[in-house]
Amino acid sequence: MSPAHPSVLVIDDEVQIRRIVRFTLEAAGFRVDEAETAQSGLARAATQQPDGIILDLGLPDQDGTQVLRRLREWSRAPVLVLTVRDTEESTLQAFEAGGDDYLTKPFSSRELVARLKAILRRVQAAPESAVIAFGEIEIDLAARQVRRGGIEVKLTGKEYALLQLLAQHRGRVVTHRQILRELWGPHAVESTHYLRVQMVHLRKKLERDPERPRHLQTDSGIGYRLVET
Amino acid sequence: MQLGRECVLVATALGAVTGVGLALYPGLSPLSIGLLYLLAIIGMSLRIGRGPMLAAGVLSAVLWDFFFVPPRFALRIDTFQDTMMVAIYLVLAIVAGQTAARIRTQARRERMAADSERLHRTILEGVSHELRTPLAVIGAALENLENADAARSAQLIAEMRMAARRLNRQVGALLDQSRLETGALRPRLDWCDLTDLLQAAVTAARDALAGHPLSVSIAPGLPPIRADFGLMETALSNLVLNAALHTPPGTEIRLEAGRTADGARVFLRVADRGPGLPAALRERLFEKFERGERGRARGLGLGLSIARGFVAAQGGELVAEEPAGGGTVFAIYLPRCDPQPESG
Repeated sequence: MSPAHPSVLVIDDEVQIRRIVRFTLEAAGFRVDEAETAQSGLARAATQQPDGIILDLGLPDQDGTQVLRRLREWSRAPVLVLTVRDTEESTLQAFEAGGDDYLTKPFSSRELVARLKAILRRVQAAPESAVIAFGEIEIDLAARQVRRGGIEVKLTGKEYALLQLLAQHRGRVVTHRQILRELWGPHAVESTHYLRVQMVHLRKKLERDPERPRHLQTDSGIGYRLVET
Repeated sequence: MQLGRECVLVATALGAVTGVGLALYPGLSPLSIGLLYLLAIIGMSLRIGRGPMLAAGVLSAVLWDFFFVPPRFALRIDTFQDTMMVAIYLVLAIVAGQTAARIRTQARRERMAADSERLHRTILEGVSHELRTPLAVIGAALENLENADAARSAQLIAEMRMAARRLNRQVGALLDQSRLETGALRPRLDWCDLTDLLQAAVTAARDALAGHPLSVSIAPGLPPIRADFGLMETALSNLVLNAALHTPPGTEIRLEAGRTADGARVFLRVADRGPGLPAALRERLFEKFERGERGRARGLGLGLSIARGFVAAQGGELVAEEPAGGGTVFAIYLPRCDPQPESG
């Protein structure tokens, strides 16, 4: 279960941002630790093992995307990227590097707290198990079987691969590029229409209302995410 | 490449082919030697410009005709077949040279466009960071203010004030830079008291100066200077701000005013004992949007550009000096002019 006061590491070179984020998070019951540079941020993440990390992309000594990649080599702590960069490209890069959520500055402090809590919940609710169950769906990764309300659903190879990929990263956005590379190979990263077709099939088979999907959600322009609740 | 060097290259290459051709002559047919010339032309076209390339094409055709196409050692051509051969050669040599030159120009243009786009993006990102960071602080503080007690409210208001000052400074800097560039700067020179001026500059940079010991010294008997108070204050506070932002906390910053050794000029100096400037950066830092080593420095990169522009507009000079004991020194020099004694 989640600790009563989860710890969060804030990596940002702007002292005022660190102070206001600390203020906001402490008011919401978090314990807060700070780092000013990429280097010290990685070091503190390793020694303090925070429950979650808030990361700026424009750090003085190294780009935040790079920090994320290095962090992901040994840490699964959820990372919320908090940055002034508002382009689709930088959002994609952050998700591909292993970010769990992305919020641009100026930000709403209420939204920051809500999103942080959400990514912390997702990680805690994800035990390593061969069977993933949510709503009326059960995915048995070992038997490669999918059941809906206890009845087996027949999926094609591609549909299953797509579902499996999203399930492995459940709660997190998987970008179109990541999925296409994984399922169709590196030459197909631009062919998002392959993906859209498979997603339509998958939703028809698994969602109660395929027009308004509850579990297989779209992050428009970015990718898809499997939501368990 | 320089035109002179291009001509030398053409002469050397064509001379070499001609030499090789003469040495091997009956062994190599005139046609084979023509192909050797063509090879040299194509090789050169990767290195030199269109004009010299055209000359090289024509010259090689003449050399080939003169030395190798029968009748040898004459510019005459007798048979229809030889005429056709030389004509085709000429066309090939010219087209190959011009095409390669055009491709090279195109590649250079694309490289320049990519460079300029990269620069543009970096600048935009810097501006967006500098304006949005204080806005983010103000927005988040305002939200927190709604349910904060008195002590915490005071803390939040202090944060907002600080952020607003920074925002104001950055917007001011963008406006100052555009005033400089559009030539809309009209300095109003007046007598300025140095104590007031230095004090105003320090006040403008007070947020950043927290944690830096500061010493101000004004040489005794120094008369007021002739300057535009507002412009000089901005220039000085930019220098103080730089010293505070680019040295570790606790580093002392010194402000000094005095006369130069020859007594002809007045100087205002901002000195620190921080890490100092690499020699290569010393002049580049005065360019607009220049932030020094990539990523290490924050800000818009306009402070020094504005400071130099403002000082120059008042007839002065701003330079980065190399202090003997390390650290960084920026010095403003102004022509000395003593106020006229009151008449009557």
